Amino acid sequence: MRVNRRVVIQFTVYAFHIKLRVDANCLTMRTLKVCAAAASAMSKKPAAQPTLHKVIMVGSGGVGKSALTLQFMYDEFVEDYEPTKADSYRKKVVLDGEEVQIDILDTAGQEDYAAIRDNYFRSGEGFLCVFSITEPESFDATQEFREQILRVKNDENIPFLLVGNKSDLGDKRRVPLDACRERAHAWQVPYVETSAKTRDNVDKVFFDLMREIRSRKSDDSRAANGNVRDKVKRRKIKCAIL
Amino acid sequence: MGPPPVVTGISPKEGPPGTRVTIRGEFLGISVTDLIGLKICGCDCLLSAEWKSKNKIVARSGPCKGRGDIIVTTKSGGEGTSTVQFRGYHESVGPMKESAVWVEEAAPPSLPWGRRPMSPTAYTPPDPLGLSTEGDDYKFPEEELHELFPDGSGKLSDENFQPGWYLLEHHSNTSYEDLKAGMVFLQRKVEGQKEGQLSFLKANTGAVMDQLDRLVLLKNMYEEDQRKNGREPLPNLQSAIEESISLADSLFSEILSRKENADKTREALSLLTRHKFLFQLPSSIDKNIKKKEYDLVVNDYTRAKNLFGNTDVKLFQKILAEIDKKIEDLKENLFNRMKTMPINVQEQTKYIRLLISLNWDGDAAWTAILSRKDYLMNLMNKVKEHFKKKEEQESNEKGRRKLRDWECEGSWSATRADWCGAACGALASELHALWPLARRYFAGELAGQPTLPQRHTDLKEMIIAMVESFSEQMRGCLICTGASGGAGAGGAAGVAADVLRARLVANLRHLRDAYDSLLKLDLPSQPLSIVEKVIFDYRVHGMTVFLQRAHKRVKGLSEKETWKIEEFSDYGAITNLPHLLESYVNDALSAIHKCVLRSGRRESPLLAAGGEPLAALQRHTQHTLLAFVAVLRDLTMHHEDQDFNNTSLSVALDQRLEESAVETVSAGRSWQQRLLIAGANAQYTRRRTLANILTPFENYEMPKPLQAIQATKDELSALEDNIAEMYLEHKGDPLVGTIEPSMYMGRHHTDADTLLDDARPYVYEIINNLIAVHAEVDSVCGAASSRYVRDICETVCEELARLAACAPARSRAAAFQARLEYSLLRLAVADHLTRKAENYLMEALAGLPPLDNEEDKKRLDNIIQGFKKRMELQLTSLNCNMETV
Ligand SMILES: Nc1nc2c(ncn2[C@@H]2O[C@H](COP(=O)(O)OP(=O)(O)OP(=O)(O)O)[C@@H](O)[C@H]2O)c(=O)[nH]1
Ligand SMILES: [Mg+2]
Repeated sequence: MRVNRRVVIQFTVYAFHIKLRVDANCLTMRTLKVCAAAASAMSKKPAAQPTLHKVIMVGSGGVGKSALTLQFMYDEFVEDYEPTKADSYRKKVVLDGEEVQIDILDTAGQEDYAAIRDNYFRSGEGFLCVFSITEPESFDATQEFREQILRVKNDENIPFLLVGNKSDLGDKRRVPLDACRERAHAWQVPYVETSAKTRDNVDKVFFDLMREIRSRKSDDSRAANGNVRDKVKRRKIKCAIL
Repeated sequence: MGPPPVVTGISPKEGPPGTRVTIRGEFLGISVTDLIGLKICGCDCLLSAEWKSKNKIVARSGPCKGRGDIIVTTKSGGEGTSTVQFRGYHESVGPMKESAVWVEEAAPPSLPWGRRPMSPTAYTPPDPLGLSTEGDDYKFPEEELHELFPDGSGKLSDENFQPGWYLLEHHSNTSYEDLKAGMVFLQRKVEGQKEGQLSFLKANTGAVMDQLDRLVLLKNMYEEDQRKNGREPLPNLQSAIEESISLADSLFSEILSRKENADKTREALSLLTRHKFLFQLPSSIDKNIKKKEYDLVVNDYTRAKNLFGNTDVKLFQKILAEIDKKIEDLKENLFNRMKTMPINVQEQTKYIRLLISLNWDGDAAWTAILSRKDYLMNLMNKVKEHFKKKEEQESNEKGRRKLRDWECEGSWSATRADWCGAACGALASELHALWPLARRYFAGELAGQPTLPQRHTDLKEMIIAMVESFSEQMRGCLICTGASGGAGAGGAAGVAADVLRARLVANLRHLRDAYDSLLKLDLPSQPLSIVEKVIFDYRVHGMTVFLQRAHKRVKGLSEKETWKIEEFSDYGAITNLPHLLESYVNDALSAIHKCVLRSGRRESPLLAAGGEPLAALQRHTQHTLLAFVAVLRDLTMHHEDQDFNNTSLSVALDQRLEESAVETVSAGRSWQQRLLIAGANAQYTRRRTLANILTPFENYEMPKPLQAIQATKDELSALEDNIAEMYLEHKGDPLVGTIEPSMYMGRHHTDADTLLDDARPYVYEIINNLIAVHAEVDSVCGAASSRYVRDICETVCEELARLAACAPARSRAAAFQARLEYSLLRLAVADHLTRKAENYLMEALAGLPPLDNEEDKKRLDNIIQGFKKRMELQLTSLNCNMETV
């Protein structure tokens, strides 16, 4: 008991110390932050950089996310499977005559890396949720991905495409087309079937998604400019932090 | 100059130093050599860069920290840009984190609430003096600080804070001016704080007072609370803390247990790979056993034993048990193999060594030795049985063919020879295997533990037993003189001499080979001497057989006598009997010499002085020689009942004697002749053959059987005497018997007083008879004939003396006549007169009155002269012999 009491006393003493110092530091920290914000605002003057659309590839391992990405980026098809951790790609494309930048974050489908997904999802503006039509489990998993994205983004209308990949393997198909369409319908998202191998619909999914993102952004900017028209439509849950 | 490289893709986009990254983009170089620079987050990674294509480079990230561009530089395009970024981070390793490097998983120094980073030092203002510490590379050695300030500390928050320590630690390189500036800074800060507090208080007096009231209130409440709930507020606090700890624990327990499971699985996996060896051991043992790679098995097994012998891990124990069982089986198997004869020694030793290295409980080598011994004994018995059976079969076959008993070769048969060879081979080869094994065993090479001293004697007895059994068998096989062997010479009778000799030599060679090989083994002397004894005995046996054969042949000589005169020797006409004797003895000796006399390596000499074999040799020689004598005697005695041919003695039948003498050359000899030939043979043998017989002894360096020779000589002399006597008896007696009647034949014609001019006819008859005898004897005995003639002369003289004594001459004429006759006889046989005969004649002459007048003397002389002249031919023939003729 004696020992415990001493420990507790010590604890209180430490706590006191900490309080004092935190108080003292708080001031300096706050001023620093303000300065930094000012500095960054000054230096990061938006250059003539084209608009950037951030796309995130999600889906179970082995469904062909990387394959789609590389096909889109470099017109190449990778035959062997090398699990991804988190890959980043960015290039300029012409979207409906306008030059934009697409930033693709290719995430890990493997469960091993599931923990780091949350962080990545936060930065995404649009999602390609990929499954393999030859693998019902990957189709099932889309449900989870969808939920995770909605949870992280807190936005039901986040640009999102359900992509059934490996359409070239029609003879091995194990996810019925109806089921896919049904799910897309339920989520109110488009459903596209692609083949990273034959490049079928590859450009389409990326461009369709970018279009969605672009339209979302213009909506948002309009909203920010005082147009409250769509605000009701978006059931954005406000952060409770004051 | 082409377009500059653009990096548009990075995979992965973040990672600790050394992460393998795939860089994609455009214009990343047109060849490997075109790529001349690669920087990831400012770190040069060119060294690890692998140029794959103009769109792809694979490299490893450097020790960079933070986010940064990937800049590719090519010869063709210059320095490039990047649209993507890589983030390097230093991986912090915790208990939950997998790491490529080894991390000491010691428990973090935990405060009771289990959080580490909350150490007060973390809040130490980085630079209380307001001086930049940059460029302050030099670090004051910590040990010295400890020495300088034994109880101090450099931490601002510590109670034992020592400013000196702090300054030395952080500002050992700072100049004095700077330090002074720092001092001012610090003072200002303290001042400012003080002032700040004061102004703060002034501005908020109301609030402060309010707070004071509240503190008083709080104090009161606190005291009341103490009164109500006891003085100790701490138990509550403690329980709250404990609760929070347990809550935290429960929060973490799931994840911890999951981690534990993961750890376990990982451990199991790594165990599996790390101890793949052990897990695969059972099957690899099986495989190696099947491939007979026992060494590998032993190696693996001992390795496994060393590594896992005293493991506590159940799984290992189980596998080890399984392995042990396999090894146990293997041991059993090896043991059986090692025991199972026949097997060559190398293999056996291999098995023994394996067993030893597998910790076989028993004394494997000893068992091997025992099994070898048993095998040898068995083998011996088998050999014996096999050959016995074979022999039986053969004898059965022969029995069907109704062969005579003497045709049985007995211990000289080819079967026996094979038997001997087989047994010798078996003994030699098995001992060759066993003895080195035993030697190595006792040298400790083949034994796990030191051998019992008892074993030495055991082994010796064992070897003796083996050798003994061998020797017994060989004796039974080769030297047996028992019922099966037939009579006397061990059944050798049916075997031709050369076959016998060849077999003997072959058998002896087998024995010697075996003995030799045992000698090479360096066996103890006792078993060696047993074998040597067998060889020796066999040699003696061989010798005896040869001698017995000689004896037998000599005995058979009586049938071989043809009486054909082979040679006229100094001792008379002899047949080939003495030569046959000589050659028989010679044959035997040369056979002995050739076959058995010479001693092999480490064998005792056959005919050592005082040894039984020498005595046997002498004895057998004597027997043989005496047998010869007996043969001669037999031959003389044989025709005893045949009529003695006296016809030649009659004067009237002189002619026929001559005829018969001529005839005998071709026809059968008369008995007297045989007698004489036998005599000559005996004498020749005594004088010549015996000496000749000694030569081979000398040549072959055998001790001379002098005693036997002497005995034989004596025996022969006796025989000669006997023969002479017999001859005399049969020839002389009738001759003497005729004297008296012949002397008185003409008595009625003579006038007592008339002086006669000539001797009476009986004198001539005597002379004629003597000539006949002489002729006969001389024709047979040659120079040696004188003896017989002398003997007869002697008896004649004796008879004359007797007659003279019986009828003394009364008249002068009678005396003269007697004197004349005696003188004439004396003259005639002068050469054959013995002293005794002379005495007889002198005695007879002395009985006569001396011649008293000259006239008589003169007449006597005249008559004698006339006799000489008339009888010249007769006299010469009486006094000559074959040679002079
Ligand atoms: N036939 C066919 N194979 C494809 C297709 N797309 C991908 N693959 C193959 O599927 C395997 C997996 O492809 P990846 O693109 O690496 O899969 P992923 O979704 O990136 O997997 P993670 O990185 O683990 O999440 C590879 O062997 C590809 O070659 C396709 O459209 N058709
Ligand atoms: Mg991938």
